[in-house]
Amino acid sequence: MGREVWLMKLGNDDVRAIAAEARLSLTDGELAGAVRYINNFLDMVDRFKELDLKNVEPFCFAETNECPLREDLPAVFARSDEILADRADSTGSFFRVPRIMEE
Amino acid sequence: MQLYELGVREIAEGIREKKFSALEVFDECLHRTLACEGKMSALITTTADAGRAHARRVDEQIAKGGALGLLAGVPVILKDNICTHGIRTTAGSRILGRWAPPYSATVWELLSSAGAVLLGKSNMDEFAMGNTCGTSAFGPTANPWDVSRVPGGSSGGSAASVAAGYVPFALGSDTGGSIRQPASYCGIYGLKPTYGLVSRYGLIAYGSSLDQIGPFARSVEDMDLLMHVLARHDPKDSTSVDKSEIDFTRREKSRQPEKPLKGKRVALVKEFRDFTLDPPIADAMKRLIRIFEETGADIVEVSLPTVARYAVACYYAIAASEAHTNLARFDGVRYGYTVTTASDLKDMFEEVRSKGFGAEVKSRIIAGTCLTEPVRSEEYYVAATRVRTLIAEEFRKAFENVDCILQPVTPSLPAKIGEADEDAMKGYESDLYTLPVNMAGLPGFSFCTGYSQSGLPVGLQLVGPRWSDKNLLDMGFELEKILGTPKIAQRGN
Repeated sequence: MGREVWLMKLGNDDVRAIAAEARLSLTDGELAGAVRYINNFLDMVDRFKELDLKNVEPFCFAETNECPLREDLPAVFARSDEILADRADSTGSFFRVPRIMEE
Repeated sequence: MQLYELGVREIAEGIREKKFSALEVFDECLHRTLACEGKMSALITTTADAGRAHARRVDEQIAKGGALGLLAGVPVILKDNICTHGIRTTAGSRILGRWAPPYSATVWELLSSAGAVLLGKSNMDEFAMGNTCGTSAFGPTANPWDVSRVPGGSSGGSAASVAAGYVPFALGSDTGGSIRQPASYCGIYGLKPTYGLVSRYGLIAYGSSLDQIGPFARSVEDMDLLMHVLARHDPKDSTSVDKSEIDFTRREKSRQPEKPLKGKRVALVKEFRDFTLDPPIADAMKRLIRIFEETGADIVEVSLPTVARYAVACYYAIAASEAHTNLARFDGVRYGYTVTTASDLKDMFEEVRSKGFGAEVKSRIIAGTCLTEPVRSEEYYVAATRVRTLIAEEFRKAFENVDCILQPVTPSLPAKIGEADEDAMKGYESDLYTLPVNMAGLPGFSFCTGYSQSGLPVGLQLVGPRWSDKNLLDMGFELEKILGTPKIAQRGN
């Protein structure tokens, strides 16, 4: 067990901090699962280190240039009332959100 | 023969020729659906009333002698990550609540313009993350060939409903195998089109550089017809490419009808040779090789060492990174599940996302956040995008000399429901045959070869170079003549 912990790249606090960045809070049970998952995940992607990637470009689809671009014109969405209808707490054309600035 | 047993083309023709009405077809499909849903749970939402009203309108049009779309009156089911205006769309997640999109996906616009009638929205792994349908917030779907087994995923509800005869066709989405694997588990056809061929506007995104919408059906002719309707350039999807020169309705006549596949170069992947397969899948590979040889195709070998060793890791690194970005929009402000008790915005985000997302989705979001953090991004995410270049390049070279690759879809037949691997990474390894196809943006055609002794369907896939979708369907058409047309599963009713 001790050895396993020693080999792990990320511990409970690291994973909690990463989860907080993603706006997720984890129960203790979820945290244990997430720590195991993320460390296994990093072990899996560590495989890339076997490759010499220095002169390899990041991937993009060759056809990107083939994609015809539409004109960049603003368009009015005709049914904005339907967008707002999903929220009881909307006013005018806005969604009401909780306080953003701290006092 | 019952109406629910008919295919897309037969239904469209029968309605046009007034052999039966669109409403009769819809009602019989609905009846079949309700007879199976108790055991199968393939649908999240059934659109019975709206569908019946739509079918009636088709019948009125026919009575008036008006122009009809190609799919007039044909019932369809859409995976529940495809937005449908005014109809609840959940992506298999609790976080979207009862959200009804204010707009429709382009694929649904195309199908409904052609006259297709919506019967329901199908169950799926939450946000398409999974290969069993088991991560859905709405519970699992059963395989109609054996209801104790999974239908595959993530488009499991769409595949199961076509296999059981709810509808003659359905749409799914495929980010790493989510059309091809459930098609294989359910014994039908499923096409993951070339990336860029079918619009993704209105598809709830998971991994944007990988996601692709495609059809399920029970005959290759039906697949042709569906691709004819779906493969359209869409200005609303910046990755959509205009390939209007591909004619899915025209089948090239073979010069030698007795050897229609003569001269085709069909490749096997050298590195996959020693991987273990369930015996029925290994037998199907041997049988297909023999069939190709007998019909005049050349069986050759290609080597994909980077794919075999790195594709799984590369895929999950990219998919998780893109998922973490795409799923940032689910914050409770504009749609779906929300809370009213949060003291500030950050608390609201955290509470909504923590309660709204399931475990697998949270794990992948955390993994994606981790891999794209500035301190690790170069080491993992950027490295993965470079490995992806090597993978795409390896496929490109392989296809210089071959028409397609024949390979399994999965190494095993469908597992029992609830028997998923404890170790998620082992589950991920089973996706090796499907996910490299998405990494390189290739088309993959999953087809049913027959049935195992225990009565489960056994599928394989053909993978081709980019934009060879039509060629794969042409080969599938010849194979269907030899292997037989997929049957309708009768164990879900």
